Amino acid sequence: MQFQDFDEAYVERLRSGDFRTQEHFVTYFSELIQLKLRSRLRTPEAIEDVRQETFARVFDALRRAGAIRQPDRLGAFINSICNNVLLEHYRSKSRDHTDEPDPDLPDPVTDVLGIVAARQMQEKVRQILGALSDRDRRLIKAIFLDERDKDEVCAEFGVDRDYLRVLVHRAKQSFKSSYLKNIDRRPPGMTAAGRG
Amino acid sequence: MDHSDALRLKATEKYLLNELDPEQLDQFEEHMFDCPECAVDVRAAAMFVEQSKAVLAEGRGPVAVKMMPAATSVWLNWLRPVFAAPALALLLLVVGYQNLVTYPKLHQAVNTPQVVPWAAVNVGVAGAETPQVSVAQGQSFQLLVRIPPEAGVTRYQAELLNPAGKQEWSLPIPVALDTDQKQDHFLLRVPGANWAPGTYILKVRGIGSTGENRDIGQTSVDVKIQ
Repeated sequence: MQFQDFDEAYVERLRSGDFRTQEHFVTYFSELIQLKLRSRLRTPEAIEDVRQETFARVFDALRRAGAIRQPDRLGAFINSICNNVLLEHYRSKSRDHTDEPDPDLPDPVTDVLGIVAARQMQEKVRQILGALSDRDRRLIKAIFLDERDKDEVCAEFGVDRDYLRVLVHRAKQSFKSSYLKNIDRRPPGMTAAGRG
Repeated sequence: MDHSDALRLKATEKYLLNELDPEQLDQFEEHMFDCPECAVDVRAAAMFVEQSKAVLAEGRGPVAVKMMPAATSVWLNWLRPVFAAPALALLLLVVGYQNLVTYPKLHQAVNTPQVVPWAAVNVGVAGAETPQVSVAQGQSFQLLVRIPPEAGVTRYQAELLNPAGKQEWSLPIPVALDTDQKQDHFLLRVPGANWAPGTYILKVRGIGSTGENRDIGQTSVDVKIQ
């Protein structure tokens, strides 16, 4: 999957029903929508509902002439559609989304290539974590795996929040090249391994 | 929010750490959906976090971990090769010295005739002078003890009191009953100790066949330190 800028030609291919473009479009924005929604919705079903409704409205807009006035802002357009769908979801549920149970998203990787890519990425992550100091590794565990309070963890490890951001930044930079290499091996339509 | 704003704000990292306020969150998401660079950053970071959770949750742990001192007991550090090898070498030296030097000397000392300090004492008999024995600190000596025979006594129990009146040791003394003449002299070896110079008291009790016992008497010996 390519990370690319969006333009009028891309939007036109979408509008004309080009299969490859539609696949890329759905794959690319599905991951972003899921990342966006997972902090706002707590069940995989709710996330999937909002994602599908968002795409339905986007494709509906594509069929209407003039609905997408700025093709280069296609992403922002999808984000705004997603925001609207999300608000309607909240209203329809008439309850605080935090009351919902913890999400238990299934692993969407079911193909061999996807599994291989996911394993390679996990091995890369293992190497990155192995290169960290014991303290940094425990810090990451406390924040992301144990989901402990960040201020409390920072105080315990004698670091500030900036240290935490830099730690995440460096780990992300180390991982990014491997991520980009493996993400291209996944067939169109597959989403990232793990949650959302 | 444009890309430089996102970079300056460290928006990707804050997004992953849920540190953006609601307004910044909306602005960054709007930008992220438009900016392939930020999109890939967020997706890579999110993937890293997810995979980290999987790696950290499993028992295996990360590979190529830097050498960190294990949080084990200080005492267990002696088992580490850096300490164990010299310790083993030292131990071998000690064992070798004992086998080649110390033990042969001790063996030779034991088998060599020597003059042992001694004194003869009579239990229950008050003498004009107290017998003396001169010993080196820690050296043993012998007491030739005469105990007046008592009818019905099958054994004696002797105890030695130091000059402070505290018992140093006690010793059962069997009596040979199958002889015509009852034994009345006994050679006691007093083991080496940290002697206090002064008068030591030897008390003797007689014990009958049914366990009854009675005082036979006592005697004393002056211990002098050489």
